[in-house]
Amino acid sequence: MLVTGIKSKPVYAPLRADPRGRYHLMLGLGVGEVALLRVLREMQESALEGLARTRVLLLPAPAVGDASAAEARREIERLPLQEMRAFPDVPSLLGEFKSVLVDSLMGTRLYVAGPESFIGLAMKIALEFNLNKDEIRAEELGTQARRVYCIHCRATTENVRTNIVRCLGCERWLLVRDHYSRRLAAYMGVMVDAEAPGALPPIKEVFV
Amino acid sequence: MSEEQTLAVEVSAIERLTPLIKHFTLAPAGGGSMPAFSGGSHIVVVMRGGARVHRNPYSLLSSPHELDAYQIGVRRMEESRGGSHFMHDQVTVGTRLEIAHPVNLFALDKIARKHVLIAGGIGITPFMAQLEDLHRGRVPYELHYCVRSPEHAAFLPRLREREGERVHVYYDSEGEAIDFDRLLSGQPLGTHVYVCGPAGMINRLTATAHAWGWPDSHIHWEQFSAPPVGDAFDVFLARSKLHVHVPPDQSLMESIEAAGVEVPYLCRGGVCGFCQTRVLELDGEIVHNDHFLSEADRSKFIMPCVSRARCKSLVLDL
Repeated sequence: MLVTGIKSKPVYAPLRADPRGRYHLMLGLGVGEVALLRVLREMQESALEGLARTRVLLLPAPAVGDASAAEARREIERLPLQEMRAFPDVPSLLGEFKSVLVDSLMGTRLYVAGPESFIGLAMKIALEFNLNKDEIRAEELGTQARRVYCIHCRATTENVRTNIVRCLGCERWLLVRDHYSRRLAAYMGVMVDAEAPGALPPIKEVFV
Repeated sequence: MSEEQTLAVEVSAIERLTPLIKHFTLAPAGGGSMPAFSGGSHIVVVMRGGARVHRNPYSLLSSPHELDAYQIGVRRMEESRGGSHFMHDQVTVGTRLEIAHPVNLFALDKIARKHVLIAGGIGITPFMAQLEDLHRGRVPYELHYCVRSPEHAAFLPRLREREGERVHVYYDSEGEAIDFDRLLSGQPLGTHVYVCGPAGMINRLTATAHAWGWPDSHIHWEQFSAPPVGDAFDVFLARSKLHVHVPPDQSLMESIEAAGVEVPYLCRGGVCGFCQTRVLELDGEIVHNDHFLSEADRSKFIMPCVSRARCKSLVLDL
């Protein structure tokens, strides 16, 4: 990275149940299901009545992928939850998430488990509802591929795994910084060869 | 020692609002306009002239959009240590007073999706200024106002006229009370609740909000109560090399100020943390009355605005 120790880089922690919450809303993508199952078990073991006030929205891992995710999902299905629903893609899951938030009440806690790009998109929506850090918990699991926002043309390039990427909008070569925007749910990409056009540092796969 | 920065004001109007509440208009003594402030701000009025100097915080209730004068409401306290009686009995139109610059420790959340305001008695004052902003905005809000009886309901005609259905009034004399469970259990995500009133009301509101899962960041409260009384004690100020006696009905901060040493302050109510003072030596115990210090810090610091000591000796880093 060009600059390290940037404070806006999000920090995540393993999910824990928040017993102070009255309602619980959980989002999981792929192997995130494993983390959600862990939290739901924690709630079940602490004999909280919380499970009956818990809604889980999932985007299941591909059938050929991680077997632990599929197993976790089957276990989640057996729990006495208020609701568990699976969605075929990120936009449909986040669309439903948004309509659930419209009707949610104060006292709700949000749990998000999945890749950082997915957490970022969920947080961006949560922010619109004035949920803050006391109400949101997130655990990063899965790919570290980044959403990169071009500070020159404002296009966002998805699934970036390399330290330097070609912007999908303006085709500039962008250095992917650790500088993160919660509002945009993206890392900032800055033209890397502005001083010496064409002189690119080695491109490496760093976000795996 | 910090120099206490005050503004000179002149009382330009006094109105009795209820049997216990007087409304004061404070205009800049030298003409011009007052410094800008935001809804929820308070000032500290410095009252000289009596046997001792009083410094009492009062919320600004005038519109933040009108700076030709400030307005405050002062409730006459039954067990006044002198401040509210001074304001009620000795201040007249034309009296000059000093005030500290406005400070806001009770601001509205700027990105809230809804505001629920709860006032008990004189606790209506900070909301009067906040309503000026809310009235101009688009975010939904409601005001719940508890008073002893109709004759004690300050500002009610003005509130009813401007806010209409958004004002809910509860009279103790009619046996009415806010149903906090009902109020807090059905609020949409992103709601913030604000309460200003007696300690019992704040405690019940906070406990009910927690029970319904509200995080602290969505609960806002303010209370200006007189510093608690207690046993007399003596303190030594190490840097000033001064012995100070603290009588039962005077706060540690007031006693230090009376000795000529200034302590930086904002709220004088144990909330803001500004007057945090290091305890250098202690033979006895500190009576912590503040809402600021963490459990760990209580062995090292004292908030002289509200806290006292039961001790043989106390040395402070002042």
